[in-house]
Amino acid sequence: MQTTITQEKNTTIFALSGRLDSNSAPQFEQQLQDFLREPSTNLVFDFNNLDYISSAGLRIVLNTAKAYKSGHYLFSTCAMQEHVQEVFEISGFDSIITIHSSIDESLSAVKGRE
Amino acid sequence: MKITFRINNDLSELDALLDQLQVLEQKWALSRKTLAEICLVLDELITNTIEHGDGDKGQPIDISLAKTGPKLTIKIVDAGLPFDPTVCKSPDTSLPLEQRRCGGLGIFLARQFCDHWHYNRLNDKNTLTLQKILPEEHR
Repeated sequence: MQTTITQEKNTTIFALSGRLDSNSAPQFEQQLQDFLREPSTNLVFDFNNLDYISSAGLRIVLNTAKAYKSGHYLFSTCAMQEHVQEVFEISGFDSIITIHSSIDESLSAVKGRE
Repeated sequence: MKITFRINNDLSELDALLDQLQVLEQKWALSRKTLAEICLVLDELITNTIEHGDGDKGQPIDISLAKTGPKLTIKIVDAGLPFDPTVCKSPDTSLPLEQRRCGGLGIFLARQFCDHWHYNRLNDKNTLTLQKILPEEHR
């Protein structure tokens, strides 16, 4: 899986491409270490090019949401493909994780959250 | 139409297997969504087999996929420690964020994406047989 990290004002965007599964999850988790320890920007996971997510990936998303829950900064996901959206819904994650339909929507949501 | 694989109980080999399954999209005229579901089922169950096994690398896991009209039958056989995923407790998916844990989620997801499953322990082997009925347009 490829991760492209970009910065948009005070928001860090992780754009994932490929499969987030038990094989690629550890590396992704490693990249997120600093963000999880001490959130200092808003965070968006752009899933536009994510073909597939397994429970190993969901675990990372859950831990990220928990790390961001009570802080000043926001965490959201966006642009899920149909199958990925379904996995989130079946797991009940759609009611505990912010899901936007596009990166623009995610960025609008954090406007003013500097 | 049948396809079989043998991998060792190693996550990197599981990854290679999921890559190889991509050919089924063309071969069996599956939608991307259906193929993703099949990969998820295999991914979750085989990851559990690898992680709950006795850690002895080099143990083979045999996987077969057979398609008869709309019915897809998948079999996973391994010689690891007895492990029956069909009796694993499902997570409570209605809990709020702070209380959610990920234990049992993988097996729960695998179960959601197949229509029937059956576990058997025979000759010191775990055999899991799954069935998935393919949607109308792929029969």
